[in-house]
Amino acid sequence: MGLLTILKKMKQKEKEVRILMLGLDNAGKTTILKKFNGEDIDTISPTLGFNIKTLEHRGFKLNIWDVGGQKSLRSYWRNYFESTDALIWVVDSADRMRLSDCKKELHALLVEERLAGATLLVFANKQDLPGSLTAPEIREALDLNSIKTHHWLIQDCSAVTGENLLNGMDWVVNDIASRIFTMD
Amino acid sequence: MADWKGTIDVSHGMSDDHKPGVAERLQRREEERLATVRRRREEQDGLDDKVQESLQSFLEILKFERLSLEKSLAESSTLERSKLIDHFDSLSLRVQKLQRNVSESALFLPPYELKTAQNVIVLLQSKIQETRDQLLPKKKFTFSKKQNKNGSGFDSKHTKDVEKNLDLAISKSASTKSDDDLVVEFAACKFVDRTSETLQKNANEINQKDIALVNLSNCTVLLYGAPSAIHINKLNRCTIFCGPVPGSIFIRECIECTFVLACQQLRIHSTTNSEFYIHVTSKAIIEDCNKVKFAPYNWKYETLEEDYTATGLSKQRNNWDKVDDFNWLATGVHSPNWSVIPSPDRVTSWKI
Repeated sequence: MGLLTILKKMKQKEKEVRILMLGLDNAGKTTILKKFNGEDIDTISPTLGFNIKTLEHRGFKLNIWDVGGQKSLRSYWRNYFESTDALIWVVDSADRMRLSDCKKELHALLVEERLAGATLLVFANKQDLPGSLTAPEIREALDLNSIKTHHWLIQDCSAVTGENLLNGMDWVVNDIASRIFTMD
Repeated sequence: MADWKGTIDVSHGMSDDHKPGVAERLQRREEERLATVRRRREEQDGLDDKVQESLQSFLEILKFERLSLEKSLAESSTLERSKLIDHFDSLSLRVQKLQRNVSESALFLPPYELKTAQNVIVLLQSKIQETRDQLLPKKKFTFSKKQNKNGSGFDSKHTKDVEKNLDLAISKSASTKSDDDLVVEFAACKFVDRTSETLQKNANEINQKDIALVNLSNCTVLLYGAPSAIHINKLNRCTIFCGPVPGSIFIRECIECTFVLACQQLRIHSTTNSEFYIHVTSKAIIEDCNKVKFAPYNWKYETLEEDYTATGLSKQRNNWDKVDDFNWLATGVHSPNWSVIPSPDRVTSWKI
């Protein structure tokens, strides 16, 4: 047993990962976080600042940081980049007017050195709205196929109904696990 | 050491006959102890060696990969265009592998080596991206309408299908359309580019749908029902009425408008000189707004109560006067950008 193996085992025991959740305002970040944590989503106000939740999921300890997406808060996003294992980018799939904004902000994040190597999950949220774009349409609109620097996946979901939130989180956890922890 | 042994010999001198092996046993024990110490020290050295070895091999791999990647990258310009995408993808993949190798080795790498390794990777990534952008300029993403839409032989149903089927083909030519056109083409339920009209939608048209109101001026919009969400953009001198919305309403760039809305979340951006008669169960927020005024929701229409029940929007909880201004984070001092409409100045009955 080499030193590396021992150290890996130690890290594995903690199984703690840090997830950063970003996206334009009104995307549904806080709603996703609260729904995933089984909390009431009817009283959520637009986030002024940030929320942190630590939850246990499949034996992993997830530290999820949900930072407000208002224009005036976006310049503070970079304060949260350090040691991020995964970035969850949340999109309001019914907000066709700001897709180009959304794309611009996402691609600006991906060149960030401190987010290099982080797993990227794109949640195409608000699929419960009949006028929402589908995941493949969002993929085109955000030009996700051009992303070569990160492992990424786009998942359609609805924070209101809770549909597919687990699928997305499972993928994130698996991807981080295969990268950082040696899976048994 | 010899003195110590001597002392023992002396103190046990009298009983030498009974315990002849004491000195030897002690001697043996001492040797064992020294052996253990020696073994431990060797093990420690071995570990250090291992770390040293891994470090050496890591640095060698890093150097080798860097050189070979740089070489492949330099060859990019000689490749055929059709092969370039695969070529760049494979390069990116190799850098990703290298990145993974670095993060795996991060545990035993000294800080300086780690930093150097990360720099090398970032540099490689940016070099690949640069070359890629040079040789394969990115195609612009745009929405485009099907060209044969106006052609003959299209029945109205078919046309509708075409409109509904979002044509997301990547096309270089149709990049002239602005973002607003996306709404014009695709949103199922909307009012766009209208002037001086009274626009109305009933419950069966809007319930549980998302609605877009874009580019209206001097209009009155009446939404008798409970849509799931509303996006409002670029309104001028309009009056908007809507039933309870269980989700969010998003307002941007409106001037001199009056809104009478009930919803769970309300976000107002870049709007000036406007009045809001609202029912908000969470909190309304404003950003880059000026001279916006608030009062409680007071619109009434026939099925209002039913719509409240159907949407589950709490009638009791109304935070119409708790507005967060994202440009005014000072606590204790009221934001200069918004105010409450004094009771006497409020509209009490709407003439529609």
